[in-house]
Amino acid sequence: MDAIILFSHGSVLCGAGQNLFELAMRMRERGDAPIIEVGFLNYSEPDFDTAVARCIAQGADHITIAPYFLVAGKFVTVDLPKRIEAARHHHPSVQFVVAEAMRFHPRLADALLSVAAHSREPGSWRDTDAQAAQFCRDIPQCPRYGTDACPATRARHEVAA
Amino acid sequence: MKAMLVMVHGSPRPASNIDMFAVVDEVRNQGTFPIVEVGFMECNDPSIPVAIDRCVAAGATEIIAVPYFLHTGKHVTDDLPNLLEQGQSRYPAVRFLMSDYLGHDPIIADVLMDRVKEAA
Repeated sequence: MDAIILFSHGSVLCGAGQNLFELAMRMRERGDAPIIEVGFLNYSEPDFDTAVARCIAQGADHITIAPYFLVAGKFVTVDLPKRIEAARHHHPSVQFVVAEAMRFHPRLADALLSVAAHSREPGSWRDTDAQAAQFCRDIPQCPRYGTDACPATRARHEVAA
Repeated sequence: MKAMLVMVHGSPRPASNIDMFAVVDEVRNQGTFPIVEVGFMECNDPSIPVAIDRCVAAGATEIIAVPYFLHTGKHVTDDLPNLLEQGQSRYPAVRFLMSDYLGHDPIIADVLMDRVKEAA
């Protein structure tokens, strides 16, 4: 069975990976592949190995890794092949294929025009930050941790006050 | 007159920007915006403030700034709005708008699926 792993770098910022989960959900809903998982290189969960394990647990024998990257830099050309090599070693009967980074695609121009069509006034330029806060994991590595922008920190302050 | 300002992170390897410029050329060819400029946050020229100057010099009365980013984070939620607010204070008569970042558009799924199919 075919599986796709959307592969991204990951972030210490809580909520930063949410966009990718929503993307995977959208692709599942429209039936792009029987199995679609998200896997991160660093910081965010699930990590790449976990994503591979999830695909295989659902019956995958052919996994295409789609880099969620505009340009194939070191993470895609050096770090990802190492992870795939390890995964091949653990799962010799599974076929792994790596797709290209997004690079140039005419649909990226459509995407630019599409987001531009929903542009916002200055008062809501920072709304994405507020939305991301709902995915707070309360981890000290997050740049928001200990600040008013961190919901968990705010909640502790309110309890103390 | 409306201008699209494409805000890009920038790279120490300028070759990384070739594909982005090709995408921006595609936007120009579609003709929705009479003015389309690219501005970099770091590493490459022109900077975002210079790109804003170019939009205004070309006659822009409204600048729609689009983050060429796949992820939200400090750049999208803080650094870019700061740069636009500075632009707004330099050009009070120009209307500044900012859009969602590129990666948030559902069309990205089509791009990824094409890459998956090419790899098959």
